[in-house]
Amino acid sequence: MKKILLTALFALITVSAFSQAKKPTIMVMPSDAWCKANGFVTEIDNMGTKVYSPDYTAAMQGSMDLINVIAKLNDLMNDRGFPLQNLETVIKDINNTSAELALVEGKNGGSVVESLYDQVRNRAKADIIMQVTWDVVSVGPKKSVRYTLQGLDSYTNKQVAGANGTGEPSHEVDPAVLLAEAVEANMDAFVGRLQAHFDDMFANGREVSYLIRISDVWGNDLESDYDGYALSEILDDWFYDNTEGHRYNITDQSDTQMTLNQVRIPIFDERGRANDANRFIRDLVRYLKAEPFLIEDIKVLNQGLGRCVIILGEK
Amino acid sequence: MKRLILVLTMVMLACTAVYADKKKKLNQDTDSFRYDIEYCKTASDGMVMVKVWSYSKRSDLAMKQCRKNAVHGVIFRGYSGEGSSHRPLVSDPTIESVKADYFEAFFDEDGPYMRYVGAMMDGSAEVRKVGKEYKVGVVVTVNKDMLRKHLEDAGIVRSLNSGF
Repeated sequence: MKKILLTALFALITVSAFSQAKKPTIMVMPSDAWCKANGFVTEIDNMGTKVYSPDYTAAMQGSMDLINVIAKLNDLMNDRGFPLQNLETVIKDINNTSAELALVEGKNGGSVVESLYDQVRNRAKADIIMQVTWDVVSVGPKKSVRYTLQGLDSYTNKQVAGANGTGEPSHEVDPAVLLAEAVEANMDAFVGRLQAHFDDMFANGREVSYLIRISDVWGNDLESDYDGYALSEILDDWFYDNTEGHRYNITDQSDTQMTLNQVRIPIFDERGRANDANRFIRDLVRYLKAEPFLIEDIKVLNQGLGRCVIILGEK
Repeated sequence: MKRLILVLTMVMLACTAVYADKKKKLNQDTDSFRYDIEYCKTASDGMVMVKVWSYSKRSDLAMKQCRKNAVHGVIFRGYSGEGSSHRPLVSDPTIESVKADYFEAFFDEDGPYMRYVGAMMDGSAEVRKVGKEYKVGVVVTVNKDMLRKHLEDAGIVRSLNSGF
């Protein structure tokens, strides 16, 4: 008995000592407004309406200021033990991987399958985007920099951190110097708010979102009846029972879809492993595959740490 | 000869007493941490320039306290000025009393705090007489990044990546 207790205690200590939450990836990107103001956009005709899409590759190749800002932010975040993904490197990596995969041909003549969904997903992304915007304002002979830095959660679309300010007008000729000062001066405020966001996450669980859809080949829908309860009601109950503090929000619901936002999931699962949206939803999938639902075909599309799409009736 | 030794001993004791009194006075004024702090400029590499106003009945003591008060302000009070405001390094206002022993040693005369504050900027000192005491202001540079790392290592401040 003592041995069992000691082993259990040791296991508990080991789990608590080595458990670490999944670290979100962060990447600095210029805002759409900055890209448009500096001409780094591609114009798309969307059924008669002009739509501008930011061209990050052109921006990284055409603006030294942007490279300096990203480098400075990378340095400052690195000092805080939080190295960032580099936008330029990520774009290059995506392009190189796509080019290499297109050339792969196996001995059997087969090639790598890349679905349309894979192609769409293959874009520069991170869990948190540090969106940066600035412009130089001239006040007589003096110049100052208006600077805004926003930390955006890719899954909840919430601004989780932010800092902005206008530097003191200066006779400094080189805007790059003013910009470096602006980045440095606003960093502490930004990191302070980001820290508060992480503290909230550790205290109340990771905030994620789920999109539940049904396949057109599935004979049922979310209004289908199981033991007197509609499937949508059963899903609602499951999220109530399993979320941290029963916190979640069904923002959209019909017989064919359900959107859940602000879903708080535990940072660690019952085995002490770091949790994310994909791992958390595995229990729901098992629940729906068992009696009385017996939904055999369930496809889960993992869209990152904080978002999953669940398609019922599709494998 | 004996008389000479006696006189010398008395002089030495008197000097020690004066020095001890000065140090005591300095510590008394410092312990209360009466000061104002203003933001001047953020320099590169995590350095920040602040102007600190210290109070004492002796202007030299007030001036000497400014460096200690600057570090204290960056850690506990935060500062504003020049159109921007900056939060203190610690977010928990009770930490100073909870970790009183640690901070007593940290802010001791020539204590570890000295490593994170530069010398007073030349020509920046301003001395004003306010009632019966002096208000002395000087501009100093605090190495905020190194100070934050020191506090993170000591477990006073949580680092951004703690828990991951």
